Amino acid sequence: MNILLMILSAIISLVTGMFFLGLARKIMAMIHWRYGPPIYQPLIDVIRYFHQRAVSHGFIFDLGIIISLIGSLLVVFFLPLGNISSFSNSGGLLVILYILILSPLGLALSSGESANPNASIGISRKLILTLSYEFVLIIILLSLMSQYQTISLQEIVMLQARKVWSFASWKLILPGIAYLLILPAMLGFRPFEIAGASQEISAGPSVEFGGKYLALNTINHGLLHFITIALFVNLFLGGGDLFGIFDSISGTFWGSFVSLIIFLIKMILIFVISVFINAVFPRLRLEQATKYILYYPLSIAIVGLIIVVAIN
Amino acid sequence: MKEITYINPVLLIAVPLALAFIIPILKFVWEKSIKWIPVAGFLFDLIVSITLIPIVLQKNIIVKIGGTTTPFSINLVVGPAGLLLSIMISLAGFLVAIYALKYIQEGDKTKYHILFMLLLTGAIGVVLTGDIFNLFVFFEVLCISSYALVGYLGNRAGIESSIKYLIQGSIGSSLLLVGIGLIYGQYGTLNMADLAAQIKTADSISLFVPMFFMITGLGIEAAIFPLNSWLPDAHSSAPSSISAVLSGIAIEVGLYAMMRILFTIFAAESFMGFLLFLGVITLLIGEMSAFSQNNIKRMLAYSSIGQIGLIVFAFSIATASGLSGGFFQMISHTLNKALLFLATGFMIYRTGSMEISSFRGLGKKMPLTALFFTIGTFSIIGLPPFVGFASKFLIFKAALAKQELLFIILIAVIILTTVIEGAYFFRIIQTLYFKESDDKSSKQESAITALIPMFIFALLILILGIYPNWIMKFIHSAASELLNKMSYLRSVLG
Amino acid sequence: MILFYMMIFAFVGAFLIYFAGKSFPRIKEILAVVISFLLFLFVALLYGKDFQINYHNFLGFHLFLRINMFSWLFALTITFLGFLSIIFSLSYMKDKKNNAFYYMNMLFVNIAMLGIVLAGDLISFFIFWEIMSWSTFLLISYKKGSALPASMKYIIMSIIGSLSMLIGILYLYDLTDTTIISQLSHIIRFINKGDVIFVVILFSIAFGIKNAVIPFHNWLPPAHSEAPSPFSAILSGILIKMGVYGFLLLFYVIIGLDIIFHLTGLTIVLNVLAAITIIFPTFLAILQNDAKRLLAWSTVAQAGYIFMGITYGTELSVAGGIFHFLNHAIFKALMFLAVGAIEYRTKGIRDLNSLGGFIKKMPFTFAAMLIGAMGLIGLPLTNGFVSKWLIYKTLILNGSPFLAFAALIGTWGTILYSYKLIHNIFLGQLPAKFENIQKAPFSMKMPMMILSTIIIFFGILPGIPLQFINKIIVSFGYHPLNVSLFGIVSDSGNLNIINILAATFVIGVLIVLFFRSGRKSVRVDQYDNYAAGSFIPKEKYSYTNSFYAPLDRFLNSFLKDYIDIFYCKSAALIRHFCNGIRKIYTGYVGSYVMYILLFLAVLIFVQLNWSVF
Repeated sequence: MNILLMILSAIISLVTGMFFLGLARKIMAMIHWRYGPPIYQPLIDVIRYFHQRAVSHGFIFDLGIIISLIGSLLVVFFLPLGNISSFSNSGGLLVILYILILSPLGLALSSGESANPNASIGISRKLILTLSYEFVLIIILLSLMSQYQTISLQEIVMLQARKVWSFASWKLILPGIAYLLILPAMLGFRPFEIAGASQEISAGPSVEFGGKYLALNTINHGLLHFITIALFVNLFLGGGDLFGIFDSISGTFWGSFVSLIIFLIKMILIFVISVFINAVFPRLRLEQATKYILYYPLSIAIVGLIIVVAIN
Repeated sequence: MKEITYINPVLLIAVPLALAFIIPILKFVWEKSIKWIPVAGFLFDLIVSITLIPIVLQKNIIVKIGGTTTPFSINLVVGPAGLLLSIMISLAGFLVAIYALKYIQEGDKTKYHILFMLLLTGAIGVVLTGDIFNLFVFFEVLCISSYALVGYLGNRAGIESSIKYLIQGSIGSSLLLVGIGLIYGQYGTLNMADLAAQIKTADSISLFVPMFFMITGLGIEAAIFPLNSWLPDAHSSAPSSISAVLSGIAIEVGLYAMMRILFTIFAAESFMGFLLFLGVITLLIGEMSAFSQNNIKRMLAYSSIGQIGLIVFAFSIATASGLSGGFFQMISHTLNKALLFLATGFMIYRTGSMEISSFRGLGKKMPLTALFFTIGTFSIIGLPPFVGFASKFLIFKAALAKQELLFIILIAVIILTTVIEGAYFFRIIQTLYFKESDDKSSKQESAITALIPMFIFALLILILGIYPNWIMKFIHSAASELLNKMSYLRSVLG
Repeated sequence: MILFYMMIFAFVGAFLIYFAGKSFPRIKEILAVVISFLLFLFVALLYGKDFQINYHNFLGFHLFLRINMFSWLFALTITFLGFLSIIFSLSYMKDKKNNAFYYMNMLFVNIAMLGIVLAGDLISFFIFWEIMSWSTFLLISYKKGSALPASMKYIIMSIIGSLSMLIGILYLYDLTDTTIISQLSHIIRFINKGDVIFVVILFSIAFGIKNAVIPFHNWLPPAHSEAPSPFSAILSGILIKMGVYGFLLLFYVIIGLDIIFHLTGLTIVLNVLAAITIIFPTFLAILQNDAKRLLAWSTVAQAGYIFMGITYGTELSVAGGIFHFLNHAIFKALMFLAVGAIEYRTKGIRDLNSLGGFIKKMPFTFAAMLIGAMGLIGLPLTNGFVSKWLIYKTLILNGSPFLAFAALIGTWGTILYSYKLIHNIFLGQLPAKFENIQKAPFSMKMPMMILSTIIIFFGILPGIPLQFINKIIVSFGYHPLNVSLFGIVSDSGNLNIINILAATFVIGVLIVLFFRSGRKSVRVDQYDNYAAGSFIPKEKYSYTNSFYAPLDRFLNSFLKDYIDIFYCKSAALIRHFCNGIRKIYTGYVGSYVMYILLFLAVLIFVQLNWSVF
C-alpha cells in the first residue's frame, strides 16, 4: 500500500511540477501579449534533452545532480498530498527541513565540480539567498509547531481541518503573510531570480548542464515549485480540506480523490499569483534581496512567533 | 626512662663555622680541595639534621651552652620548624656547593667559599637559636656575607647593587637592634621563651613600637613590600649559585625569624590581618613587576618577591593548616627557585646574556638544563604533579577553610597573580623550545656537576609533588610548634 | 586496580616513546601506535564494569579511579580517536623534527583525558585536568611561529579556568568534607542553594573555557588552527569535550537533577549562552578563509549545540547532547584529518582562496570531507542528523522556539561554511601549481575511512549508540528513551531512519537507472566550459577567491569577535599597568630608604592614633 502511495505521489508531483513549468511560460507569454508554447512544452523539452549529447566534468558532476533529484523526490514523500501521505510519520517537519537541504547541496556540488566561474557565482548567490529566507522559514515553521504542539506535518493538516485553516486564524496570519512574502524567493522567481539569472551569469549553477543533466535539472526545478507550494498549502491552507464539506466521504477512495483535487487547485491558485508577481517585477540585486527579506518578512515572522509564544 | 642519644645540634652551626675558617688555612696547604669544603660541611649538616627528625618530632631539643641563662649565652631550641628549615638550608647548601664546583671560575674562590659557608651557617643559626640577640648576631652574619657575595663578581652592576643592599640591610639591622634593645630594656631578658612567658599578648604601645621596629628590620631581609627594593638588584647581579641561595634560603630565613617573633614572642594576632593584605600586595607587586621583565634573573628575583608574598599570606592565615601551607610553600619555593637559578646560571653562562630572547633554541642545545628549568617553572606556577601544586593547594585549602568572603576575594587576587605568573613563565618555555635560534652551534650541555644538583632538585620536586604525604607529618608538627606558643614555652622553660 | 595499572602503563609508555625515540628512532612510531591501540583495547574490554578503586592518598585526600557507563563511553571515544590520530600522524609527522616529543605529548594528552573521565574524586579530576592543560600547551606550541601566541592564549585561559575549578573543589570540600564524587552526590542536597550556585559558577568557568562557550571561546580558533592537524582533531574532537564531561558530571552526577533545575535562572542563562554560542561562531566561520580556522569556529558552534543539549535538561536533550558529543568527535576529527591531508600534500597551505579542484587529485580525501560535512550539517542518514533531531524536537515541544530557531539557523549557516570548505578546496578549478599533487598516503586514508564508516553507520543505525546513551541518562535519573534499532518512538512524532533509507535507496536506484539510460556524456577537461561568449583566462581566474563576497561585505561591517578584542585590550592594559608597577623600584637608593622609614613611621603612626592592631 505504502509503495503504491509513494509511486502515486511521485507521479503526481512530477506531472504537476512539469505542468507548473509550462503554466508559468504560458502565463508569462500571455502577459507579454505573446502566444507562448503549449503547456506540455517542458515535458517535450525534457525528453528532447535526454537524447542530446552532454558534457560531464567528473563523477561529482553526475552524482550531485542525482543527489539533488533524490532530495527533491524524498521531500515529496514526506508531504501529505490531500489525504495521501506516505511517510509523514517519520520525523515530521524537522526531517522535511533537513531533506530540503539535499537538493540545493547536490546542485551545488555538481555545479562546483563544473569549474565554471558563472556556476560558482550562481551557487554562492543561491546559498546566501537561501540562508536569508531560511531565517524566515524557520521562524514560520517554529510558530506553527509551537502553536499545534507537534512536529508532524500531517497532524498540523488534520488539526487545521478540525478547527480553522492557519491562514484564517488570527494567531497564525502573520507567519502566513511572511511565507507569502518569501515565496517568490523560494521559487526563484523575480524579483529574486538572482542565482539563476540567465541574462547575467548564464543561468548560474546550471550553466554547464546540457543533455540529460539539463533534463534532470528541469525535472528538479518543477519538483521544487511543487514542494514549495505544497508546503504552503499544507501549512496554511488546510491541505486537501475545503471547510469540511467533504468530511462525509473522507476515508474512502473518492474522499482521497476529492481532497487531492482540492489540494491541487489550491496549489495552482497560489502558483498563478506567484507567476504574476514574477511577471511584473524587475530583478533585485543580491544585497537588496537579502536586506528586503531580513527586514520585512523576518520582522513579520518574529512578531508572529512572539504572539504564538505569548498566547501559549 | 631511657635517654635517647643524639648528635648535639650545636654541631650544625659549629662544624660549618669551623670549616669556613679552615678554608683560608687550607688554601696554603691544598688549594684544590677548598671547593669541596662546603660540600662536606653541608652534607654533614644534612645528615645530622635528618637523624634529628625522629627525636624532634617527639619533643624539642634544648641546648644551653655554658649552663646559664645569661643574655649572651648560646641557647639553641631545635624544634620541628627550625629543623625543617635547617634541613632545607643544608640541602640547598650541599647541592649549590656541588654546583659551584664548576660554576665558580672567576674571582677569589677562597673568599667565595668562606662567604658562602658563613651565609648558610648564619641562616642555620637564625632558625635554630632560642634567643633574640643571637638571632640578631646570626642574622648579621647572614646579611654581611650576602652583601659581599652580591658584589662578588666585582663588576659595576654587582658593586652598585651590593652597596644598595648594604645600605638598606644596615638600616634593617639597626632597626632590628633598636627593637631588641627596647625589649631588653623593658623585660631584662633576651631569651625568646622567657620573653614570651612575660608577654602574654601584645597590647600596649610600649610593646608595639619594638615589634614594629623588629618587623621592619626583619621585613627588609624577608623582602616584604615595600621593604624589598634591594632584592631585584641584588638577586640579579649575584652569581647564579648565590642567587639560588639568596632567593631560596635567605629571604625565607628572614621571614621565618619574623614569624617566630610575631607568633612566639608577641602573639600578635591582630597584626596578622594586616600582614594578610601585605602578603597579597607583595605577591601582586612581585608578579606584576616580573611580568614584563626581559632579564631572566630579574624576572626570577621579582618572582621570588611574589612567592614570599604568598608565604606571608599563608602564615598570616594563622591556622594550623595555613602555617602548614606556608611551610610547604617555603620548601617548594626553595626547591623551585634554587633549581631555576641553577639552570639559569648555566644558560646565561652558555649564551653570555641575561636577556630571555637570547635563550632561543636552548631546548635543543641544552636539553637537560632546559628540561629541569621547565620542571621548575611548572612547579612554581603550581601545575600538578609537581610540588608547587601541593603547596599552593594547601594554601588555597587553608584560606577557604576560613569560609569568609574576605578570603575568597584575596584568593581571587592570588589567582590573578598566578595567571600573570603563568603568562611570563610559559613565555620563557616557548622561547626555550619553540623559537629557532640564529646560531646553529652544536649541543652544549651544562657541566655534569651542575646537572647533578639540578637533577636532585627536579627529582625532589617531582617526588614531593606526587607524595607530599611523606613530609606532611613533619610540616604539621612544625606548624603546630610555631602556632602553639604555650607548648614552646613549656619545652624551653620546663 | 586494573584501572590504576592501565594509567601507569600508559604514562610509562609515553616516557618510553620519548627515550626510545632518542636512541632508536624507528621504534617510536610503532610504540606509539601499539600503546594507543592497547589503551583502546583495555578500555573497550572494560565495557559494563562499574567499580571504583582508591589508588593514592594526596595530602589527606583519597584519590579514586572509577568506571561506569558514563565514563566508559567517553573513555572509549578518547582512546579510539587517540589511536586513529596517532596512525594519521605517522605520515603527517614523518619528516618533522623532534617527533618523539610530539608522540610523547600526544599520549600524555590522551592519558590525561582518560584520567579525567576515569577520576572518581574531584582532586584527581583536577590533577589530570592540569596535566592535560600543560601537555596541550606544549603540543599547540609545537609548530612554532604563529602557534606561540595561540598557545599563550590557550594556557592563560586554561589557568584561569582550572584555578577557578580548584577554588570550587575546595569550597565544596569545606561544605561537604569530601571530594569523592559518589559521596558528594548524596551530601549535596544538604547544602543551601546559594552555595550550590556559587560552586556551579566556579566550575562553569573552568568547563566553559574548555568547552569554548561564549564568552570564554577566544582561545579556541587560534589554537585549533595552529596545532598540528592530527592534534587539532583530538583538540576539537574530544579535548574540548572534557568541558562537556565536566558539565555532565557536575549537573547530573554531583548535583543531580532534583536540584540543578530548581536553581532559579541558572538554566535560562546557560541556554541563552548556548544559543549565542551557536549563532555567532557559525557566521564567523562563514567569514574565515583559513580552512582550519573555519573548522575551529565551527567547533565552537557545534560545542554550543552540545552545551544546549546538556543544559536544557529534558531526557531528549541530554541524550541528544551526549550523542552529539559522540558524533561531533567523529565528524570533526574526520574533517580536521582531511584538511591535514591537504596540508600535508600542499606543504602547509590552508588558505581557502588559493586551493581548488583537488577532487581530481585526492578523491578519497574529498569523499571523507564530504561525508564529514554531511554529518556536520546533519543530513539524514548521517549521525549528526539524529542527535540534532533530538535536540530540536525537545526545544520545540518544550516551548523554547527561540532556542530552536538559534539551533536551526545554525544549521543553515553550517551548510554555507561546509560548502565553502568543500568548494574552495576540492571543487572549482585546480590551480596549475597543484598539477602534481599526490593522493593521501594509506596511513592517512585508514583513519579517515574508519571515521567515515562510523558516520554512516551511526546515521543508519542510531539505535546502537543510543542504547549506551540510554543507560547513561538512566543513571542520571531520567526515563529511558524508547529506542529501536533505526530510530526513536514517541507520542509526539517518531523518527524512523529505515523509511528514509529505503526511500532514498529506491529513488536513488531509479534515478541512476534513468540517468544511465540517457545518452552517454563526454568527459571534458576543466578549462573547457561555457562562458557565454567571453574568454576566461586560465591563470587569472580564481574560482575560490572570496566565495561569499556579498555576505562577507554585509557581515564584516558588524560581525567581529568583540569578546576576543575585549580580552586582548584588557591584556594590553594589564601589561601596561604592570610596567607602571615596576616603576616603584626606581633604582635610586634614597627612595628605597624612604620606603623603609615610611613603612615604619606609618605603622607606628597608625597604632598610636587608632590602635588598630
